[in-house]
Amino acid sequence: MKKKKFLSVLLAAAMVTSLLAGCGGGSGAASADTSGGGSDSAQSSDSAQADSAASGDVEEITWMFWDDLNATEDLISLGYKDVIDRFNTDYAGQYHCTPITTNLEEYYTKLNALVASGDTPDCFIVSPGPNLTDYVTPGVAADLTSILKDENPDWYASFNGGMFDKQTYDGKIYAVPANLAAACVFYNTEIFEEAGVEVPTTYTELLDACQKIQDAGYTPISISAGTAWCLSMLVGYLCDREGGPDNLDAITNGTGNWLDPTFINAGNKMVELSQYFQKTAAGDTNDVATAAFYNGEAAMLIQGSWVIGQINGANPEFEDKCGVFQFPGIEGGADPNRIIAKTDSFCMSSTTEHKDAVVALLKYFTDETAQKYTAEVGGKIPVTNVEVDYDKAPKQLSYVMDILANTTGTLGFYNESLASTEAGSAFDDAMVAVYLGDLTVEEGFQQVQDFYDENVN
Amino acid sequence: MDKMLRNKKAICVFMAPGIILFTLVLFIPICQSVYYSFCDYDALTAPQFIGLKNYTKLMKDSTMMTALKNSAFFMVFSIVSQLLFGLLLAGLLTNIKKGRNLFKNIYYLPCVLSSAALGLLWMFIFSPKLGINQLLEQVGIEGPLWLMDTKGTIILPMWVIAFVALWQYVGQSMMLYMAQISGVSTALYEASYIDGCTRLKTFRYITLPLLRPMMATAMSLNAIGSLKFFDLVFNMTEGGPNHKTEVLATHLYTQGFKYFKYGYASAIGVVLLVLCLLVTFLINKFVKVENYEM
Repeated sequence: MKKKKFLSVLLAAAMVTSLLAGCGGGSGAASADTSGGGSDSAQSSDSAQADSAASGDVEEITWMFWDDLNATEDLISLGYKDVIDRFNTDYAGQYHCTPITTNLEEYYTKLNALVASGDTPDCFIVSPGPNLTDYVTPGVAADLTSILKDENPDWYASFNGGMFDKQTYDGKIYAVPANLAAACVFYNTEIFEEAGVEVPTTYTELLDACQKIQDAGYTPISISAGTAWCLSMLVGYLCDREGGPDNLDAITNGTGNWLDPTFINAGNKMVELSQYFQKTAAGDTNDVATAAFYNGEAAMLIQGSWVIGQINGANPEFEDKCGVFQFPGIEGGADPNRIIAKTDSFCMSSTTEHKDAVVALLKYFTDETAQKYTAEVGGKIPVTNVEVDYDKAPKQLSYVMDILANTTGTLGFYNESLASTEAGSAFDDAMVAVYLGDLTVEEGFQQVQDFYDENVN
Repeated sequence: MDKMLRNKKAICVFMAPGIILFTLVLFIPICQSVYYSFCDYDALTAPQFIGLKNYTKLMKDSTMMTALKNSAFFMVFSIVSQLLFGLLLAGLLTNIKKGRNLFKNIYYLPCVLSSAALGLLWMFIFSPKLGINQLLEQVGIEGPLWLMDTKGTIILPMWVIAFVALWQYVGQSMMLYMAQISGVSTALYEASYIDGCTRLKTFRYITLPLLRPMMATAMSLNAIGSLKFFDLVFNMTEGGPNHKTEVLATHLYTQGFKYFKYGYASAIGVVLLVLCLLVTFLINKFVKVENYEM
């Protein structure tokens, strides 16, 4: 009997411990998984450091990013991988950075989950605008003002003017930009020549060009409505060309209405242009639509200049036949020289215990090597006053720089310039619905206005 | 065994792991989310009690209505289709002599695969540039936008996802029914054959009545599973275009994890919980179970 009792107690104990071990194993596996998303090769080369990290001498930090550093062909992402590798090599034995990577679509969801569970990465990428506000308001992102201005004045001075405008809230800086990209129209010069088309400077010319290209047997515009922000970027440009900065300002301060004629006109023009999209635009993802452009199936791609790294990484031969022009103006509309621009910006967690390590890492993203790489290899615009050899840089970058030289102002993505991330999604969703023919232009903007009436105003 | 049951300590010790686990991972979180559903809570600052506001907002939320409609469609579709196809497959497989195990494994295989991976796989198959539409184009047919079409009350993407879910989970229903069928005594069948029953009649008058208890179980499992269904929808459409394929679980996920509205998301969770309980209750009440000696 005693034996039986002993046995039953033993079995119960075994069950409990195995359950607990199960839980423990789960969390361990999860943390291994998050780091595993990053760079296997970097990890294997850094295994020695990881060992020493385990001994407690090395300060371990995490850095979260929206692309898989190992699987990617994107030259900018590969540049970030270099930065992490350089950082880990130079600071071997002192600091070690482990990347946590996701794909772009799930990035904020996963970041939010980590934040909510109290595991905020020490350093993470965020788009300026309402996304950044989401992390600034609740105090997730650390105030970097004194770190930049007081503790590292030289570093702060190395940035070009105006680079911190979109990262500043009430005079406090919450993120460090690493590069700048501008949205333009990329075009296939060979197709343009074959169809006998000149670079369009007005909306009417753009329509003409599209018609001629279609007649020549090519898809005029490759765009993705499957990835909603790609389509909404085009609408954002049309809204700005119609109504200029007043449009967004009026929406932001509550005096404007989404049913104003400038927005409706922009929506109508998007519908008009949509007859020149590739047939599969409704379901194509951003990557598929971009590939259709650099594989020579479509003549134009309206995209941010970060796509240069993607195009040249995937199809290096395409560089020679890829031209860039500014998004055309609308006759009778607003200033045609404004451009959609966006920075990759990094935040530091306000709860990090490794402030020095994160600041050291942030400096690596903006040091000379990284910034030169950004321009000369990645094709994006540097944020510091580094000297760039534009002969080495992708040809498209110099076209973008020419366009930038003539711009009179910049604006953010429309969906990233609205009241909240949810407002941005409401705009995106409505525009996709309009494109699909599910809603009329008026109904689409009414849906956005309804969202504002209920949640914002 | 009787001695063991009289020993209170032993009972406690054996029950403890289950009860502790249930309390920790299920009961406490359920209570918490019921509480959060009455709060304005963004997971970063302390929850603020706002009474029924989340629920009144839910009633007016058009996406919530779409999600309820889609989830209801999904539930009805899977209960009916799993019942029919599960029974059909089980009936067929118990009656074939060769290759029973092989087919059993083939039909059951999708069940053990990761839904996330399958979701991606089917997304590729239904994407306009890669899969079915390319095949259709070869024979001169322009395929529809499988995952982006928005016409009709129940839109095409919901039918597509429901079909994929049926393909994935029909093996499970089949296994449940097969297990029950194999428990039916062969004497009953032999007796029926002697009395002149055809195979079809045997199935109708012997197998089906004896399967009833399992039908109730399988139906409740299907109903609950399809109400809280998430992975295939999220991986194939993410609730889009324009929230038209949103189901309760994806709406909950978007509101909670994308927009930090944990209070609101908890309210959706509570609605989901109540629906699951209600459906289980109804199925158990209306599917009559009689126990026969087998």
